[in-house]
Amino acid sequence: MTMAEVIPLDGAQTGVSDAEARVLQSFIFLEAQLADESRWEEWEALLDDDMHYWVPISETEDPSGLDPSIINDNRSRLATRLRQLRTGTRHSQAPKSVMRRMLSNIVMERTGAETYKVAANFVVYEYQNQSTMQLNVWPGRVEYSLRRRDGALRMFAKKVHLVLASGHVPTMSFII
Amino acid sequence: MMPNIAELIRPTTVHADLYTSRAIFDREMDVIFREGWVYIGHESEVPKRGDFVRRTMGVEPVILTRDTDGVHVLANRCSHRGNLLCQLERGNRRAFNCQYHGWVFSQKGDLLDIPFPVGADVDRSKLGLRRAHVETYRGFIFATFNNAPCSLVEHLGNGRQALDRASNLSPAGEIMLRSTWVQHLFSANWKMLGENEADGYHVNFVHDSFAKGVSRDGKYGNVLQKDERKLTAVSRYLGNGHTEIDYESTYDRPLIWLGTAADRYPEYNAAMSARYGAEQATEIMRAGPPHTYIFPNLFLAETALVMIQPLGVGETVNWHTPMYLKGAPDELNRRILRQGEVALGPSSFLTADDAIIAERQWRALRGSPGWLDLNRGLSRERQEANGVAVSHYTDETPNRGFWRHYKSMMADRTVADAAA
Repeated sequence: MTMAEVIPLDGAQTGVSDAEARVLQSFIFLEAQLADESRWEEWEALLDDDMHYWVPISETEDPSGLDPSIINDNRSRLATRLRQLRTGTRHSQAPKSVMRRMLSNIVMERTGAETYKVAANFVVYEYQNQSTMQLNVWPGRVEYSLRRRDGALRMFAKKVHLVLASGHVPTMSFII
Repeated sequence: MMPNIAELIRPTTVHADLYTSRAIFDREMDVIFREGWVYIGHESEVPKRGDFVRRTMGVEPVILTRDTDGVHVLANRCSHRGNLLCQLERGNRRAFNCQYHGWVFSQKGDLLDIPFPVGADVDRSKLGLRRAHVETYRGFIFATFNNAPCSLVEHLGNGRQALDRASNLSPAGEIMLRSTWVQHLFSANWKMLGENEADGYHVNFVHDSFAKGVSRDGKYGNVLQKDERKLTAVSRYLGNGHTEIDYESTYDRPLIWLGTAADRYPEYNAAMSARYGAEQATEIMRAGPPHTYIFPNLFLAETALVMIQPLGVGETVNWHTPMYLKGAPDELNRRILRQGEVALGPSSFLTADDAIIAERQWRALRGSPGWLDLNRGLSRERQEANGVAVSHYTDETPNRGFWRHYKSMMADRTVADAAA
């Protein structure tokens, strides 16, 4: 297959119409902003009940499922994570990191009647103001699984491949 | 300028310079991490001939290999021009070929071949890779570059029981590592990580947010509470720098420490009874895993194994991987994996906060040197017959012992060097 063959000229090949693409893009931009600004309650409102929040240590598939992950939260563990952040004594986010992230190279795909996969490259710029007082740069690729439910988009999976995942990773207890 | 280490360590206070001095760090790399015993890996990481993993002894890169004779630990440095010989983190190889000039070494470090041999005016037998002295206990591999070390058993001392305790949770009597790790970077001194493992005092403060975020029923119920007198876990100094916190008294039934119950895993329960007898199996499964620090770089973190890797005086990597139980069902091992992810790693519920506190502490010590206090529990600790000191969960008994051992290694050595 040549490159030209995989580049869609319209929504026909990805199954995502222009109107849907605008909605999907708005969704991931909103998600990014809420994460940047540590607006955890609003961020949590974007999630569906079967949410899976995953930061693996490698982009290579692990068929055994026995490799440890940096984050591997089901909905209940993610709820605990957000409760912990909200206590005010989560020292690794007290004070909260100052963050801004860029999303780019966005690709979208319909995966079912009401479901979509959206992927993008990202960079999070984090001012780590808890201890090292440094600017941390977190590049990677993010994959969202989204579905339309009751007329609104919900996120049911977010998988984040950090470029640094298999290296020496500094503390990262914000929502990546 | 080398500080006088003996003067920096008193029975119940230690000086900040011990954490921030580059000269002391360099000395530690020699005295503790080259001349002393260091944890390298586990036999399950290199099961087949030719298997290898990369590791470090302090800052020195090494390769753990297996050949027909067993396991070897080799300096990961070509004996010709010092190039890093092996770049892959793990794999299987018949030999190690240097990419610089093509020298070839065996899995035991012997120099097998030199390209363009006509001009090679060297004695090959003298140019093998530097090989460490290696001993194992229950599959745990330790090494030292000391030519005349004490035996591993002597070094481990009472710490052996922790390696037994971890291994005995397996119906095959062995833990199983996969050599896939999360590596959490702490911008702090390595000793802070070691000391923190046996510091029960910090738990209610550093991990306050965890206490509030999770349900207190179950595993963490006993230790996440405000009444000092209700904490029944104990802290111990085991000798030779090894320390532990023992949660055994807080577990009232088998597998509660894994947030589950033995009758949920009948296959495991039966296999444990078959190996140990029903009564002993029940007790092993109730008492649970160790929370034990083996000096200087191994931490048996209950369901995970942690390696502490110093990178520099203010930089340390905390490696962790699940401590799987050989012969246990996958569902049980998966629970072990998920529990380790709660506690350990850059985004975990516990060590993320430990890291930030260590980083703040290290920066404060660097800017404001002075003495650190380690008096807590001095009047209530008890000495036991085997040289173990035991005290309340929150007491600083373990770390007073840690520093006595450190002083015996580092300060005596300074005197010896000065005399030489």
